[in-house]
Order: sequence, then structure tokens, then C-alpha cells
Amino acid sequence: MTTIHPDQLTAQRLAGVIPGRLPDRPLDPVTGDGTLIDDPAVRAPLVLGGHSFGEVTDIICGYTENKPPRWWLPVFLLSANVAGLGGLFILYLVITGIGTWGLSNQVDWAWDITNFVFWIGIGHAGTLISAILCLLKQKWRTSINRSAEAMTIFAVICAATFPGIHIGRQWMAWMLFPIPNYNAIWPNFRSPLLWDVFAVSTYGTVSLLFWFMGMIPDFATLRDRADRRLRANPQGGPSVLPFVPVRADRLRALIYGFLSLGWRFSGRHWHRYEAAYLILAGISTPLVLSVHSIVSFDFATSILPGWHTTIFPPYFVAGAIFGGFAMVLMLLIPARELYPHMKDFITLRHLENMSKVILTTGMIVGFAYSMEFFIAWYGGNVYELFAFENRAFGPYWWAYWTMISCNVISPQLFWFRRCRTSPVIIFLVSLAVTIGMWFERFVIIVTSLHRAFLPSEWHMFHPSLVDIAIFVGSCGVFLMLFCLFLRFLPVFAMAELKAVMPQASPHAHGHDHAHPSRASVVGAHGDRRGDAPGDPNGHPAPPPPTGGH
Amino acid sequence: MTQLDQCPSTMKGEKHKPGKADLAAVPRDVSADLTRSAGTVNGQAAWRSVDELADDAGFRDFLEREFPAGASELRLAEEADGADAASGGGATRRDFLRVMGASIALAGAATVPGCRRPNHTIMTYSRVVPEEIIPGKPLYYATSMPRPDGGAEGLLVETHEGRPTKLEGNPLHPVSAGKISSWALSSILGLYDPDRLKFPTYANPTRGRIEATWDDFRTWAGGNLSAFATNGGAGLAFVVDKRQSPAWRAVTARLRARFPNAAWVPYGPGECAASIEGTRLAFGRSMREVPTITKEGTRVVLSLDREFLSREPGELPNQRNFAATRLVLGPSDSMSRLYCVESGFSLTGGQADHRLRLAPSRVAAFAVALAGYLLPKLGAPDAGGLFGALGATMPEGNAARRFMQECADDLLAPENRGKSLILAGESQPPAVHALVAAMNAALGNIGVSVVYHPLSEDEAADSLAGLGRLAAAMRAGEVDTLVCVGTNPVYDAPGDLDFAELFAAVPRTITLSVDRNETEAASTWSLNAAHYLESWGDTEAIDGTVAPVQPMIAPLYEPALSELEFLAMLAEPDPTASVDGFALVGAAWRAAYPDTSASGGFDRTWRRALHDGVVPGTARRPEAPTVDQGAVARAIGAMRLPEAPSADRLEACFVVGNVGDGRYANIPWLQELPEVGTRTVWDNPALLSPATAKALGLEPAGYSEGDPSAIYTKPKYPQARLATITIDGRTVTAPVWILPGMADWTVQLTLGYGRTVAGRVGDGVGVNVYPLRGSAMGGTNRAAWGATVARAEGSYMIASTQNHWSMEGRTSIVRAVDLPAFQRHGAEVQVVMDHFYGTRANINFAERLGELGHTPPTKSIYDNPFNRSDADPDPANVDEGNRDYRGNPTPPAYTQRPQWGMTIDQTTCTGCGVCTIACYSENNIPVVGKKEVAKGREMSWIRVDRYFTGDVHDPASMLHQPVACVHCENAPCETVCPVNATVHGPDGLNYMTYNRCIGTRYCANNCPYKVRRFNFFDYGVAKFNGDYLGHDLIDKVGAFIPGQEGITGSGAHNTINPNLIPPRLREKIDEISKMQKNPDVTVRSRGVMEKCSYCIQRINAAKVECKLADIKGPDGRTIVPDGFFTTACAQACPSGAISFGDILDEASEVFNRRSNARSYALLGYLNTRPRTTHMVRVMNPNPKLVDAARRHSWDDPFHHAPAAHGDGHEGGGAGHADDDHGGGVGKDREAPGGDAGHGPASFRYDRRKLIEDRGYAGSLRVLSAPGGAAT
Repeated sequence: MTTIHPDQLTAQRLAGVIPGRLPDRPLDPVTGDGTLIDDPAVRAPLVLGGHSFGEVTDIICGYTENKPPRWWLPVFLLSANVAGLGGLFILYLVITGIGTWGLSNQVDWAWDITNFVFWIGIGHAGTLISAILCLLKQKWRTSINRSAEAMTIFAVICAATFPGIHIGRQWMAWMLFPIPNYNAIWPNFRSPLLWDVFAVSTYGTVSLLFWFMGMIPDFATLRDRADRRLRANPQGGPSVLPFVPVRADRLRALIYGFLSLGWRFSGRHWHRYEAAYLILAGISTPLVLSVHSIVSFDFATSILPGWHTTIFPPYFVAGAIFGGFAMVLMLLIPARELYPHMKDFITLRHLENMSKVILTTGMIVGFAYSMEFFIAWYGGNVYELFAFENRAFGPYWWAYWTMISCNVISPQLFWFRRCRTSPVIIFLVSLAVTIGMWFERFVIIVTSLHRAFLPSEWHMFHPSLVDIAIFVGSCGVFLMLFCLFLRFLPVFAMAELKAVMPQASPHAHGHDHAHPSRASVVGAHGDRRGDAPGDPNGHPAPPPPTGGH
Repeated sequence: MTQLDQCPSTMKGEKHKPGKADLAAVPRDVSADLTRSAGTVNGQAAWRSVDELADDAGFRDFLEREFPAGASELRLAEEADGADAASGGGATRRDFLRVMGASIALAGAATVPGCRRPNHTIMTYSRVVPEEIIPGKPLYYATSMPRPDGGAEGLLVETHEGRPTKLEGNPLHPVSAGKISSWALSSILGLYDPDRLKFPTYANPTRGRIEATWDDFRTWAGGNLSAFATNGGAGLAFVVDKRQSPAWRAVTARLRARFPNAAWVPYGPGECAASIEGTRLAFGRSMREVPTITKEGTRVVLSLDREFLSREPGELPNQRNFAATRLVLGPSDSMSRLYCVESGFSLTGGQADHRLRLAPSRVAAFAVALAGYLLPKLGAPDAGGLFGALGATMPEGNAARRFMQECADDLLAPENRGKSLILAGESQPPAVHALVAAMNAALGNIGVSVVYHPLSEDEAADSLAGLGRLAAAMRAGEVDTLVCVGTNPVYDAPGDLDFAELFAAVPRTITLSVDRNETEAASTWSLNAAHYLESWGDTEAIDGTVAPVQPMIAPLYEPALSELEFLAMLAEPDPTASVDGFALVGAAWRAAYPDTSASGGFDRTWRRALHDGVVPGTARRPEAPTVDQGAVARAIGAMRLPEAPSADRLEACFVVGNVGDGRYANIPWLQELPEVGTRTVWDNPALLSPATAKALGLEPAGYSEGDPSAIYTKPKYPQARLATITIDGRTVTAPVWILPGMADWTVQLTLGYGRTVAGRVGDGVGVNVYPLRGSAMGGTNRAAWGATVARAEGSYMIASTQNHWSMEGRTSIVRAVDLPAFQRHGAEVQVVMDHFYGTRANINFAERLGELGHTPPTKSIYDNPFNRSDADPDPANVDEGNRDYRGNPTPPAYTQRPQWGMTIDQTTCTGCGVCTIACYSENNIPVVGKKEVAKGREMSWIRVDRYFTGDVHDPASMLHQPVACVHCENAPCETVCPVNATVHGPDGLNYMTYNRCIGTRYCANNCPYKVRRFNFFDYGVAKFNGDYLGHDLIDKVGAFIPGQEGITGSGAHNTINPNLIPPRLREKIDEISKMQKNPDVTVRSRGVMEKCSYCIQRINAAKVECKLADIKGPDGRTIVPDGFFTTACAQACPSGAISFGDILDEASEVFNRRSNARSYALLGYLNTRPRTTHMVRVMNPNPKLVDAARRHSWDDPFHHAPAAHGDGHEGGGAGHADDDHGGGVGKDREAPGGDAGHGPASFRYDRRKLIEDRGYAGSLRVLSAPGGAAT
């Protein structure tokens, strides 16, 4: 069997110099799919498969234009049903009262805020990838940033649900907003819960803008392709649904046309786009740090042992990135298996990189866990120490040790290259990390509350059916939205992706093959012609060498 | 607040709930329907006109066929007479109703007049507004309540527009003195009980139970009772509530004169029979023993299984007087000492300085031994062979022997001679009571700390013996007609009488009752009585003080007769003649108190009595009879005590719990009031000591020391084992729970539960243990020997408000010291300097016992304008820096009067829970039911925390700590509320704004005291245990869910927790129940947080009144003088442990107590600056009965655990089973080596044990030594 090695041949093939595809790759034990190159002299390719620009356009647009894979509908229906069921339970909750949860006067928060913090944390990977990695010019982000940002939006939607429904009078939630009123009653600006409202809404808004703005060129591509098909066949094309005499392409042209906000691939558009992208990345970067810091203030500013901890902000941010990357991996690993050619864009190198992030942040989190204990002991406050000992050895010991094994122990597998390059193991570890991060919040919230200051008020928390159903429902919402994303939106940022392909490099032809992606440093400028509506075959010309050196 | 929707349209929809319309149509046969529909029959207006509702043509036709000829003619004639009703005297009740109906229509429901005038004219506010009434301002009327166990309480009733809403103690009544018991407090719910009997029902032999009217009954009685007029009542029997008063005596005398041959049984299942019989033995006549504890005259009290602080007729004066002897405000104050020998763990035991747990029969043996030791030493004459009868026995066991000797020596000490008191409890045979009287006489206590009042024949009668005689007559078929008045013998008769069967066999039975009960349900005639708040009458307290019972409102379900009126009616030859309680009382008083007054005459006396609530000068002169030692010797000689109890021969003691003898079972406040010791609610589990439960295999699920892993698989809610308890062949299956400090091999059973016909609250709550009682149980009806307890299949959910038993080593929560330590160090003030931060604080004695004695004072790096502390500038200094939000110069906050605050004295607090009930009553706090309590959702604003200290098998003490919102100056709740719903007021209150609250519950999470209560459901506006749409379907589904029965506290009604039903589908609270609500306090909707407000409605009312009265302080500002008003809890607290007032008023009690050396801030180290401070509990142990380590701790109480005798030997209790106070300082108590001064010793804990703690029941293990065995 051919071992693929980053030799000249491979580099040439990857650069498209030598025609012919890579075979449907038997993975190499050393380099995996070819991206796991250790040789510092060789820059690993970011896109595999030797696709031309047109092929990339075809593949990615095909995800939305072609019939979905067979698994899509069942998964979507299942998750939509779960989401709907969760919605019904939320309805029941609102109608009947918070008492349908398992809360008590002693443990006043449990799954509700656990879920809130959990989902908010999930969202962090998206912003980190889109903002910080963008600013740091990490090219590998281009394959995953769109789906990570989508995931962020969906996670924020799930997260924002919980503060909204966890209050006793949900119909009065508007009182949280600083609405001018003639009684001059303002929200309490000292309350971290209010800061949460601002932080989460800012975060959600910026993330949404970022996500949407990035999709505009891709919407335009989709619009143009639909338009092109319509022109070719004004009467034809598939119907939207059986017996509905609306042509899908007409709908696509309409909707994507609306969403693309008049994008015409002009140079001026690109220029503005680039500038705006950079600005949004700059705005988002502090948000990555601020949102979860503020969420952690919910606990850190209280006086409860186990909550009142100054380490919380960094520890929560690290935990959020940790959990967020795990969720990205949990979504993308199945997707790249199920969608054609997706493995060419999301390579093992991507997975490995994300695994490394998980390993790093996992250890930060583990360090934080141990520091909590150390400070509790070092601080000399016996009640504080009790709170932490109670976490580990009290009635909820199982939650604590679930958290430790999932969050601290399981990522240690990623010290081993084999583990961090095996999608199955990565998936399993990510699953464990996701579970562990949920339990982390549960442990912080419930074990601190259930053993507060007066032993007379020590009380256990037991979740009710409604608690569980609403959480599962939020998972359904998340998955359902992600399915819709995969089906209807451009899953990859096509323009950016092309910019990291070998063809984007002005030196791609022949010489300088040792640095096939060097040109990609420049940025995404190159695909205008390739995707021009006038070029129905989509075979691109090499991008114009507009990038500066 | 949509939940408080007052819109008529929604009300209308609500009224057409299933069941009501049907009932209103033709419910001729209601027996089957009665369970569910009787409670719903009252619509919005039906509470006044229910019989009109049924008064349709079909019903009249039926009645004509049903009743003797002429009955209907009489009714018709009566109605025809209605035309001239306006002429005055001829008015019948039906006419009255008709007028009333018109009045309602005219006036609207909101202005229904309530108070019945003496002259019986009814006027509405729409016609004439009475002069003294200002709408919105309550009026207070004096009345009184007969206690179910004898005696009475004087009450003041708060009425709003004629609607009584809250009961308070009458300050002028010598027994109440402004205080009130939980029974009296909650009897207001008996008035507004939606399940009350609303109309008579008749058990038709062919057609089942049918609705009827009082006229029907009178007609029936005229025919059926006339036979007895000729034979003097042979075959007639009366079982009447035990009570005494002039009017009662007059009426019953007339009745008994008319029926001299009738059987007459004064009956009270919870009465104090043994004590009365004991006085008969000792003095030759039945008397009531009344302790007269005084600070000067009572230095040592020995209680022999006597719960004299609660659940007995003299509980109010006893609590008040005993607290007076325990009040220590300065180091020079003295304090009484309480020894307690008891079988359970009672409030009294919790107060004891020394406590010995013994089975009831061993207590009796202890008493005999004590007398044998004490009497000869007193030099008392050995008359009648008493000394010989006593023998020279000693209590078994070293601890008991030492306890007895030291206690006796203490009683004999010269300074205590004639200043002591020995009391015996109801579990003790009469001979022991007689012996105790002899000891009191010998000690010179009689006339000083205990007096005796003569009793009438009725009061002295032994209820159970009387009922036994009646049962024998019934068995012999000699009883033809049985009349039960205010009694419920079908439910609470002793088990050996088979009373229910006998009752069913009596041809004619008549029961008059306010509420539904088993007896009326089984009677031929069930008659609705008027509540005591609806009727005229009088009462006689234990000291003989006579007080009037005035109606506060016309009978809600008119026509209704009070017990007095009913008996008077039967005493008349013509039962159709009208009776009038007003006239009865007037006549009786006129006879009893002849007009001797020089000025005014009887009318003046009468008016004065009605105004004051007492008849002046009626208190009897107490008697100090002499003891007949020979009779006592004979009684002691005849007393046969069983052998010491063992595994197959347990002893049982019966106690009266929160619901009394069962008559308060349908009162939800009392059901939800945690029981003493266990803090369980909505249940009466049989109680065993931990060792006994372990030996019998009856430890609660999850509390098996042999199988620690079971704790994690334990069910969601605490589960009790079920056990069959057998006494004399009578068996009851009951859940078994453990109570530390119980005597071993003793089972404590609580009476009054397990009602089957009580209403939607009380039905099916707990287990009826009356069947275990025999009618003659060795002279006392509260204890039995030879019981067996065997494990039965199954388990039973227990709901408790407190899942942890100990302080888990956090001894700074309830700080407790011994009196010598306080005397030696109470005046010291420690100055805590922190040189690093340059802060300085003065720490008083109490604070030195806690964390602050060991930590630098908390000093904020920011200037807090709201702080007023030693470290802050002089608050009186108005500098330019302090400006209000408009920029005007203003003094610093919290420096202007009034500044409200509260102190709670943990020494005098007995943990009785009256404060909780008073708060429920004042603040419209809803009850939530058993399952909600089990989830930790009880709504009480003031709770009483209970902690045991010491060994689980023999706890050193039971500490009580009432905790309500402490109104922190630095309130953690306020900063975290995102919507500003909880904010601080200028007078130091932590306000809770319900309208603004959206229910994030963040405040509750951040509250270190956990006093905030969240409305998880529509508790306040949904009907408790009410019906809901789809009931049958959900019942079927719910039946599949295991362990659901009885979860709402009432197994008879719902199989699921009805709170889980969406509120729109649920029945709303009855209109009648709404009448109890305090109109000055919002009823909270679901989804909002609530908590103690320091009764802000009272504060504001007082401020307004003072402003109007122009009461000004020295600075010209309006002030509220101390004592002008107080909070509901402080007002009710029988021992006066709670003080409330202006903490800037240096003359106020609260100022004095706050600045007392015993005052400390609970969790004060958090710098919350609570406005409610607690006062250190002081105990007064006998120095000879404590070990050396404890004595040494008196010299330095700060560096050994303050409660070293308590939690101190958590680690080492096993070895001290024989040592009454354990081995002293446990190893975990040792201060860290080398740090003699400021180690955190006072709040150190044993980490190993804390971690071991696993919540419910498992926390007992924290207390216990491993493998503690049954003794």
C-alpha cells in the first residue's frame, strides 16, 4: 500500500500540480490523512483532495443544494421532536410553576443555572475560533469557524432560554431590562444576574453579526448558483415539497438573495468585508473573556463557600473553551464522516489541533480544581474548607468525581498522538468532557447550596422529570438547529477556504513547493472569478495575485 | 398578579366547577357525595344561605313525606309568621336569613356586617356605619376560648369590618397575660374551615344521609325526646366536652335536673386525669394543681415526665413564669435549675439543665426512690406508714442514682428549701402524683410554687372511666339515645371499648359538632354547631377566672347553636323554643355575680367584663390543702410497677401533639407545625430511641450503620419503617421514627392523628393510636406497659422541616454556656486589635464565644454610609459628607429613630413554635402540604431550628433557635437581586417588594440564614388539597406511581401532589378561607420570594398612629414609643423570648437586650450586621453533676468549646453511656498545640465526621458513636 509521505510528490499532488486525486485514503500510520506532518520544514496542507476551486464551491454548495444524506431527516426529526417535547415541558413549567422542578428553599438553583452556564460555555469555542484565532492568523480555523460560530449561536439560544424560564414569573422577565418607566425603577446594577443579561445579550448579538457577516459572500454564491440554474431552466428544478408548485431554486434565489444583502463580489465589497471582519474579531476577543467571567460572577460575588472564589473568572473561561471545543468536535466528527468530501476540509490536523486545545484547557481547569482546594486549606477558613471537602466526599461525591474523571483525567489521553488523531477516541473524550463540564456546573451550584451556613437548612436536591425533560429538550433544540444549519447554510466559509488552498499561492506552480500554502497568508481574495456566475463549470482560474507579500 | 384575579367573570367560571351545580340541584342523598361535595357546596354567598340553596320545592315535598305530620305545617306557619317579623321579638331565624340575603344583595360581599350585636339587630354598613368603625382599621374585641384539656385562654380578636382575622392573647386575662397558645391561635381556622358542618344531616333509615334543617331536628326532638321527660332520662346518655363556667354549670344543671336518670359523661380524651386523681388521693378531694413559679420562689424544678411548658392547661403561665426564673441579663443574675426525668424528649426536657431519660414506669420508680431519700431527710413526720411504703429503693443504674441523689441534695439545700417545685406528668400513675404532692408539702412548696384549686364534679370526672361505664350500658342495650356534644368518641374512645360498633347499635344518636368528625358521620343526627367565635358563652380558666365568650361574627352557617345553647334547648320541655346564648350567659352571671357593686350594678359589671374580657375578682383564692400521708402510703403500696422494659415488653407513652386530641386535625397550620424534637410534619410516627430502633431493626431506611452504601441508594425522601405496635392484643400499624434522647425500650405515640372524617386537611394524616389505649391502664391513660413493636412490611415517607440533627460541630450557631462561666466572664469585653489593618473592635462575652473572638474585625476598604459600628465615625456627627440623593445634608443612615431590631433569647425560648403559627396568622402564610415540606418548601417566615448536642443515645441537650429574616444591614440578598425587589429601608428593614420580584431566587441562594421562602406554586391562592379538572383520570395515572399515597398530607383526597396541576385547572381557595386573610398583608402569588418583614404592616400602622397622636422624640421627630406595638411572633411568644423595638431607643427592651453581654449576631463573622440578634443560651447545671472538664471550662469558656458538654464529645460518646454528661472535651475540641489564645477552637469541627454526614438520618451518625448498642 502506498504510504503517503510529505515528499515532493505529495506536495505536488496536494498543490494540484500533479493531476489525479488522492485515493480515498487509507490512513497513514504516521501522517494520518497526510496532514499530520511532523516535519517542521513542511507545512501541512489545510485542504486535502486536490480540489479545484470550482470543485470546492460545488461540494460546499452541494451540501445545501443536493438532497441531504439519508441520516439527516431522521436525526432532524428526532431532535426536533425532542426539542418540541422540551418546549411542551417549558410550557408546563410556565403554566404551573417553578415547583415542578426539584428545587427547594435551600437549593434554589440547580439544573436551570447549570444548564445556562453549560450552554454559555459551549458557545465559547465559536467565538474563540472566529475571533482570537483569526487575529492570531491561525489558518486552520477556516475549516471549522463557520460551524463553530453556528454552534455558538445555537448554544446561546439554548443558554438564554434558561435564565428566562428559571425565574418565578416568566412573564415579568422584561423587568430585567433597563426600561425607562415613570416609577423610575431601574434594575439593580449591582447584581451579577443583571450583568449576565447584558453580557449574554452582547455576546449573542456580536456572535450573530460575526456569523452572519461571514456568510454573506457564501449566500451570494448560493444565490448566484440558484439564479444560474433558474435561467438555464426557468420552469424546471425540483419543487420545494411534493405538490407545492414552488421551485426550490426560486426560493433559494429569493432567500439567499435577501440574505446576501446585495453582495456583488466587488473589490470594494471585499475590502469593506475584510475590515469589518477584523473589527468584529477585535470586538469579539474581549467578549470571549468577559462573558464567562461575568457568568462566573454570579457565583464569585456571592458569600457562599464554594461560590465566593476569586479564581472563578479565568477558571470559567478556560472551562468554557474546554467545553466548547469538545462540543465542536462532537458535532464535526460525525458530520465529516457523513458528508461527502468533508474530510478534505476538516482534516485530522484540525482534530488534533482542537484536541490539543482541549488538553491545555483541561489542565487549566484541573489546576483550578486543585487550587480551589489549596486556597480553601491555605485560607484557614474551616467553613470554606468544609465546602470543598463536602464536594469531594459529601453526598454528591459522585458528581464531583464524574467531573474530575471527565474533565481532568479523560483529556490526558490526548498526550498520546494516537488518541488525539483518532476520531473515535476524540469523539469519546469530547463526549466525556461535555458531560464533565455539565457536572462541573452542577457541582459548583448544588453542592455549595445544599450545605450552606446553617446545618438546619441542609437539604438534598433531586431533579424532577421536568428538570430532565427541559435539559434534554435544550439538547434537542441545539441539535435540531445544527441539522438545519448543515442543511441550509454554507457550512464552510468558501472564500476563506479557497484562500488556504495551494492554488491560492502565487508560488503554487512548480517551485517553492515546500511551502504550498505560503500565499494563503494573504487572505481570501481569490475566488471571485471562480465563482462568478458566468463560469458555470466553476473551474477556477488561479486567483489573482492581489495578496501582498 | 394574575393569580389574584378578582374579575367577576373568572369567578363565575370558577364557581361552575364540577360538583357544585349538581349539589345545588337535588342532592337528596348526600351520604355518598358528602366526602367531596360538602366542602364545595359553599359558593360565594352560600356561607350564609346554604339551606336556602337546598330549599326548593322537591326538598319540601320530601320533607313532608319524611317527617312526622305537622312538621311541614309548622314550617309553613313559621314562614307565614315571617310577615310580622319586622315587629321585633317574633323574628325567626329564617326571617333573619331572608333579611340577611337582602342585605348582602344591597351591600355587596365586601361589606357584609359581621359582629352580632347584643340586641340581635343586623345593620349593614350601607345603611348606618357604626361610629367606632373606620374601614380598613381593625377593631379588637375580647373573648376567650375554652381549652380542650381544661381551663381557658383569654383572647383579643382582631376584626376587620366585622370579620375576625387573628387571635391574640388578652393582656388583662391573668392566665393569658397577652400571650396565646398555638391551639388558640389557629382556632381561627376552625371558624373558617371550609369543611365545617354547614347544616344538619339526618341518617334516614331507608334513604341514607340527607340534608335537613334545624327545624327538622327540633321537630324530631320534640317527638323523640318527649319519652324521656317522663322517665327522667333513663336510656338517654350525654357525652359532653369537659368544660366549666357559670353558664355551663347553670345549663347543665338544668339539663341534668330534667333528665336525672340520664348518663352524663364529661369527656376529654386529652385531659389531665392522673394529676386530678393524684390530688384526690393526696388531699381527699379532686383539685387542679397549678404551678405558681416565681423568680423568687422557685429555684429548683424537678419534672417527672411532666411537659409543663406545653400542651397542658397552664402552659402559658408556666412558660411565662418559668422564663422569668431563667432570665439572666447580667452576670449577677440568678437562674433557676431544671431537672427533668422523662421518657420522651419534650420541650421541657430541652430546657432542662439536667435530664435523665427513663421509661415511664422507671420514672415512677425514680419518684418513689426520691421520696424515700428525700422525705426522711426533711424531718417530715412519718405518718401513715409512708416511709415504710416507700422502702429504701434506689434507681437502677449509676447515672440515675447519682442524678437522684444530687437532685435531692439540691432540693434539700438550705437556699432552695421552700423554693422548689416537683411536678409529675400524665404518664405517671396517680399514686406518684400524690407522692409528689407529699414531697412538695414536705419541701414547703405548696402555697409558694404550687397551689391547688378545687374542681367541680364534672371536671374531676375521669373521662375514660366514664366512657367505659357508658360503653357497658350501651353493650347492655340500656342506651336508647346518645347525645354527643363537642366530643368525638367514635374516633378517640379507648380501643378496648369497641365504641364505634356500640355507637352504631344505639338507635338514636345525636352529635353536635363544629367540624366534621367520625362521630357525627355515624350519628342519626349530625348538627352543625356554632364556633366559639360565633356564639355567646363563658369560660373559666385554671385559676377560676371567668371570662366571656362573645360572638365576633354571626354564625357563618346559620342556623347553628353553640354547645351551650344546644344543651339549653334540650333542657327545655319544648325543643322548638328558641334559645339564646346571650340570655343564658346573662342569666347565669346575674345569678353568679349578684349586683353588689355600689355604682353601676350588674350592667356595669357586664359591660366591663365584655370590654376587658374577664370578670374581675373571679380568680379563686388558691388553696394549700394538707396531704393525707396515709392515703399516699396506701396508694404507693397499691401501685404495681412492671419490671424494667425490654425488647418484648416495651413501654408506651401517649402524648398530645400539635393537633391536640385530634380536634384540630383539620387545621393546616397545626399540621404543618413541626413536632417537638423530630421536626416532622403532617404525621405522628411512633418514636423510638436510636438504640431501640436499631435493636428492633426499625431504623429508618438509609440509616443502617452496617451498610453505609445504602445511604446513596436511599430513596428521595426519608423513609420510615412500618411497625405493628401491640398493646394488650390491640394492634396498630404505624411508621417508626427515631428521636435521640428517648428512653430505651419506650415507644412514644402521638394522639390525635389518623382522622378519617375530618376534612380535606386532616383526613388520613398519620395513624390513629387511640385504639392502643385501654380504658383503664394502670391509673393513667397516658402510659401503658407490655407493648410489642414488630417490624411490618413496607416503608412510609416522612416529611421533616429539618434534615439535620446536630450543629455538625458549628457550635457558634447556637452558643451555649453554663451560668458560672457567664457570671465569671459576662462583664468582660475583649478588645480585638488588628495592627496590620489598624482596626479595633470591642467584643462582648457572646461574640467571644464565636468566630469574632478569633478573627480580626472585618473592615471594609470602602466607606459604607450605611454602616454604624465601632469602627465608623460617630453617627451623630452630621457632616457635609452625608447627603441624600437630592444633595441635601443628611445624617448618616441608621442613626435616626426609629431603627427596628429584634432579639431572641435562646435561654427562655422553649421551641414551642407559637411564633411560627402567629406569623402564619398575621402574614397570610400558606401551608404547602407534606410532600412540599419534604421537598424543603415550607413557607414559615420564622422557623425554630432544633439541634441536639452530645451523644445520639443520650443527647446532652436539645437547643432551639428561632430564625427569621434577621434584616442584615449589609444584606447579601439585596446586592444580588437583579430587579431591585429587595431593598433596604431607612429604618433598617430589609424590604421585600412582591410586585417587583420576578423570582430569580438569587437572594435566597445568597442568604446565609436561608430564611427566604419562595412560592414555588400557587400556595396562597389555590385550594389546599383541592379538586381539579381531570381528577379521575389523573388519579388513575397517579395510582401507578409508587409511594404516592398520602403525599399531600391527606391520603384521602389526591393520589398525586395537586400542586403539579396547572393552576387554571385547580380549585381556587374557598371564599370562606379568604375571610381569615389579613387584609393588611398581600397574599403572594406564585413565583415571588417572601420572608419576614418585621410585620411591616404593624410598623406602618404604629407610625401613622404616633404621627397622628403627635408623639415626638427629643429631636422633634415622630417616634414610636417602646411597647406601642410589636411583631406577631414577639407578641405571641409565651416565654417572652422575642423582643422587638427601636434599637436606638435606650429605654427599650430591645436596646437593653441587644447591648447585653449575651447578645450575638448569628453568622456575624460574615459582616452581615443582622438587626435580629440572638442571645446565648445559659444553662445552670448542678456543679456536682458535671464532670471536671466542664467545670474547668467555666474558668475559660472561650478556648474550650462553649458547648463542650454538648458537641464536645461527639467523638467519644460511646464510653459515657453511664455518665450523664459524657467525657467532657473530645479530642477534636483541643485547641491547636501552642496556640492557647486564638486558635479557631470554638468552631472547630471534626472533619472526618462532617464528611461522613450524608443528610437525612445519616446525620445522626455524626452525633453517634459507632456501634452504639441498646442498653
